[in-house]
Amino acid sequence: MTAPLRDPAHPVSRRAIVLWLVEALIGFVLLVGGTAGAAAWLSGARWPPDMLSEHAWLLPVAVGVVMAPFVVLEPLLRYVVHRWELSGDVVYARAGWLSRRWVFVPVSRIQTVDRAQGWLERLLGLATVEIRTASYAGSSTISGLDDEVAARLAEDLARRAEELRDDAT
Amino acid sequence: MTGPPPSTAVPPGGPPAAPGAPEPSGTARLSPRVLLIDPIRMLPSLVLPLAGVLLAGGFSPASFGWAAAGVAGSAIYAVLRWATFTYRVAGGRLELNRALVGRSVRTIPLERIRGVDVSASPLHRVLGLAVLRLDTGAGGGEQEGVLDALTAERAEALRAVLLARGPLPAVPGPAGAGTPQDAGQAERGPGPAAQVVRGAAVAAAGAVPAEGEGGGADDPPRVLARVPRAWLMYGPLSGAYLFTPFALVAGAFGLAWQWRRELGLGERAAVRALEWALDRPGLLIAVALVLVAAMPVAGGVTYALFNWDFTLRAREGHLVAERGLFTRRAVSLERRRIRGYELADGLIERRAGVVRLWALVTGLGDARSRGQLLPVTPRAFATGVAAEAVGPIRAPLRRHPPAARRRRLVRAVAPWLLVAVAALLAGWNLAAIIAAVLAAAGVPLAFDRYRSLGHAWDGARLSVRSGSLRRGQVVVERRAVVGWTVRQTLPQRMAGLLTVVAGVGAGSGGYAVVDAGEEQGVAFAAEVTPEWLAPFLAPRPPAS
Repeated sequence: MTAPLRDPAHPVSRRAIVLWLVEALIGFVLLVGGTAGAAAWLSGARWPPDMLSEHAWLLPVAVGVVMAPFVVLEPLLRYVVHRWELSGDVVYARAGWLSRRWVFVPVSRIQTVDRAQGWLERLLGLATVEIRTASYAGSSTISGLDDEVAARLAEDLARRAEELRDDAT
Repeated sequence: MTGPPPSTAVPPGGPPAAPGAPEPSGTARLSPRVLLIDPIRMLPSLVLPLAGVLLAGGFSPASFGWAAAGVAGSAIYAVLRWATFTYRVAGGRLELNRALVGRSVRTIPLERIRGVDVSASPLHRVLGLAVLRLDTGAGGGEQEGVLDALTAERAEALRAVLLARGPLPAVPGPAGAGTPQDAGQAERGPGPAAQVVRGAAVAAAGAVPAEGEGGGADDPPRVLARVPRAWLMYGPLSGAYLFTPFALVAGAFGLAWQWRRELGLGERAAVRALEWALDRPGLLIAVALVLVAAMPVAGGVTYALFNWDFTLRAREGHLVAERGLFTRRAVSLERRRIRGYELADGLIERRAGVVRLWALVTGLGDARSRGQLLPVTPRAFATGVAAEAVGPIRAPLRRHPPAARRRRLVRAVAPWLLVAVAALLAGWNLAAIIAAVLAAAGVPLAFDRYRSLGHAWDGARLSVRSGSLRRGQVVVERRAVVGWTVRQTLPQRMAGLLTVVAGVGAGSGGYAVVDAGEEQGVAFAAEVTPEWLAPFLAPRPPAS
C-alpha cells in the first residue's frame, strides 16, 4: 500500500473469505486437473523428447505444490485489500490481492446500480454491488459485501444518484 | 404482393393508398430519380453472360434470361419501395413510414439525432442525389434511419432542419460547390516544411471570421481546415489501405467463382490452373513481389479516393467533415457532444512529422470513421485545427519516472528472451534465432515506448499519450471524466509505478496514464478532480 491513498473505511464481510476460498479451491482443482490431463497426453505422445514424456507426471505435481499456498493466501490477502467507502458523494473502493485496483466513482456520474448474487453468495448471505457509469473505466464492482449492507448501499447510491444526476456525459 | 398489407408495427391509421397522410404538406417521398439506381446497378449482370459468349464460346440463354428477370424484378421492387415509403418532420419528430409488405412507422425524436451523415456514390452524384443517414447513438446498423435517396438540395435542407431543430431555413447552394481546390492548386512541389506553413495559413484564413467558441445556432458557416491535395501523398505513410492489392485479387477470384458457369469454368479448370501455377514457383514469386510493390501505390490511390479535398467546416453548432473523390461523404458532429480529440501517428508518420485527428464524441456509433476530423496532415496543422475545432491543451506533457523505462524494457525484451532460451534448450535453432532477433528489436521499441509516455493537465483539459508502433495522444475535457481507476500489478508495485485510467464517457471509454510514479499518478488524478480524490489521499508523512 505504498500508493499515497488511505485505506477505504469499511472492510467487506468476513464470510467473503469463505467465498474466495471456495472459488480458489475450484480454480485449483481445475488447474491441477487440466495439467494432469495435459501430462497424460504428453506421456502418450510420440513427438516430445523422451526426457519430457517420461517425466510428464511431474507437471501436475509441480503445479499443485506451487499453487497450493496461494489457495489459502489469496482469500486472506483479498480480505485485507478489499475495502470500500462512500463519502463526499464519491464511491471509493479497493480490490485485488497481488495486484491492486482503486476505483473512484462520483455518485453524480452513476448511471445504474445493480445488486447481484451468485449461488455461492446466496448460500453465504453475501452480495455484489455493481456501479456503472458511461465508461467501463469509471465503473466499479464491490464484491463480498454482507447482503444487508449491499442492499443499503445500492439503495443509498440509487437515491443519491437521482438527486445529483449530472448529464454532462 | 398487391393485397392489403397486414399491420405489423402500428395499427392501420388510414387507407393503404395514402399512408400517414394527415398532413400532406409535411409528408414527402424520396426523389423519384432513385428508381434509376437499382436497375443501373444491375446492368453489369446482363453484360456478364455476353462475356461468356466471347470467352467460352457458349451463349447461355437461360442465364441471360435470369439476369434480365433480375433487372426487371429489381426495377419493379424499386418502384414499389419508392411508392410505399414516405417521411415527414412534424412535432419535433422524424417519421419514416414504410408500407411495402408490413406497415411500419419509425419515429425518431429530433433531440435524439446526434449526427447526420450525407453521402453520395458516383451514381448518386450523376443523378444529383444524396443518401442521408441519421446517427441516433442506437448502436448503428438497422436501428438508425436512412433516407436513400434525396436530391442533393433536399438532403442539405433536411440536414439543416434535423440539426437546427427549427423551421426550414433558407438553404445556400449545395455543399461542395465552393472552391475546394484552391488550397491544393495554388502551388505544388515545395518541401514539407513549406507546406506546414501554407497549411497553417489556410487554417488561419478560415479562422478569421469568428474567433469565439462555436455552439451558437447562427454561426456563419466557416472553413476550419481544407487539406491541400499535395498532402494526399502522406496517405501511404499511415499504412492504411496497404492491403488493397490483395483485396482486389481476392475480389477478382471471388467474382470469377461466382460467375464460373457463365465464364465456362469448372472445378477441374480451377484445379488445372492451380497446378499450372504451382509448377511455376518463379512466376508465383514474381506475382507476389508485384503485389507487394503495388501496396504503397494502391494504398495511396485508395487513400486519395477516400480523402480527396477533405474539408472541415463549422456551422450551426456542428462540425462537418466532407471528403471523397467519387463518393462524397459529409459527416456532421454535434459540437456540444464533442469531449476531446485524439492525435495518432505510426512509426513512419512520426518520422515525416504527420498525424491523424479524430474527435471523441459521446454516444457516437461507428466512431472511428465518423469521428475523423483530419486525414494524415502535418502535426502543426493538425494541432492547430484541433485547438480551433475543439480546444487546445496548454500544458506540456510530463515525463514518467525512469522506472517506467525499465519496465518497458523488461516487457518488450523478456518474453522473447525466454522463448529464445527455451528454444535453444529444445534444440530449435531457427526459432531461437528469430526470438533473439525479436528480443533485440524490443530494445529500441521499449525506449521509444518510454519516450511516448506522458500526461498533462492545463486546468480545463487533460491529455495522455502512449504507444510506439501506433502512438496516440488523447486530449479530453475535464467534464467528460466520469471516474478514475488506479491499477497496480505486482511488478509495478515493486517498481513503484502505477497506471491511472481516466474513465471517459466518449471514445474508447478509458484513457490510461501508463506507468506513472506512485505519487505522480495519484497526484495527477487529484489535480484534475480534487473534490473526488482529496478525501482519500493518505496524510503526507512528515518530511525528514
